[in-house]
Amino acid sequence: MLIRAFAVLISLVVLAGCSTPTRYIDPAADDGPVAMTMDYRDFEKAATDAVEDMLASGAVNNPDGGRYIMVVSRITNDTMQRIDTDQLTKKIRVALLRSGKVVTTTAVGLNGPEDAMTEKARELRDSDEFDQSGVQRKGTLQAPDLSLSGKIIQRNHKVEKEQQVEYYIQLSLTELSSGLAIWEGETPIIKRGSDKSVSW
Amino acid sequence: MKMFILVSMLILGLTGCASQPETSSSLIDREELKVDPEVIYTMDVKELFEKRLEQPGGERLLQVQFAVEARSDTELAWKVTWFDESGMVVRGVGEGYKKATLLTGQTRYFSSTAPNARVTSYQLHLREPK
Repeated sequence: MLIRAFAVLISLVVLAGCSTPTRYIDPAADDGPVAMTMDYRDFEKAATDAVEDMLASGAVNNPDGGRYIMVVSRITNDTMQRIDTDQLTKKIRVALLRSGKVVTTTAVGLNGPEDAMTEKARELRDSDEFDQSGVQRKGTLQAPDLSLSGKIIQRNHKVEKEQQVEYYIQLSLTELSSGLAIWEGETPIIKRGSDKSVSW
Repeated sequence: MKMFILVSMLILGLTGCASQPETSSSLIDREELKVDPEVIYTMDVKELFEKRLEQPGGERLLQVQFAVEARSDTELAWKVTWFDESGMVVRGVGEGYKKATLLTGQTRYFSSTAPNARVTSYQLHLREPK
């Protein structure tokens, strides 16, 4: 009995010693292995490419001065992975906000407002419980000028003994007054690796 | 009279206290182009241009472009860090390095646009990815 307990204990110690320690990764200095699935570096690359191209093209320069108001429309995930497309759109929104050229509305969305509090706060009108001087007045919400939409596509190929996974991140910025796409971009992300790797 | 001098000195003293702290520093001369030694063995930086894109409000957006020519098949990682007039970093989308592959004899052109019109200077860092 004692020998068995000792053997189990030794095994556990050996296994614990072999396991890779958990560590923090600094995104500013990450040369780590590449996954076949989409990781944060891919979203960062796509967002950087998109924002730099939007700024360089002048598409987000409001000729009347001031900032454009953008709404995030549908970003379709046509990949085999479960992707939260906010990983992409949030980076774009933050960068455009920092550029001083575009501000995003959270009061409108395809599936209802992103922040329902904008509407909820207006339900306080005519409530005797609230000081009405602080309640939002009618006609103060800003309608969007631009809409950001897009699609993430995945294609898998077998190349000799390897697997090639292609991702295409396609984005369009539509001017809502005319319905015209005033900016469009596509970032291809191509990965080649072991055929045993799983990309879903 | 004594009172007048006392009040004047007090005002001068307070003005001295209210002066802005020194924000500029000239401790380090920041290089616009920083190339790691490992990169120099495999490629040459042939060009480095900067351009200012006119903005509607009269502001100008900084854009840089550089070209590298590879002497052998190699990989490159690069990043541009942006600074405002005070020398403070202006953040862009991400902080990571962009990676590129170059074939022998190939010249590739890369460009980057500043995240904000406040940007007045930059530092381009070229390194070899691990």
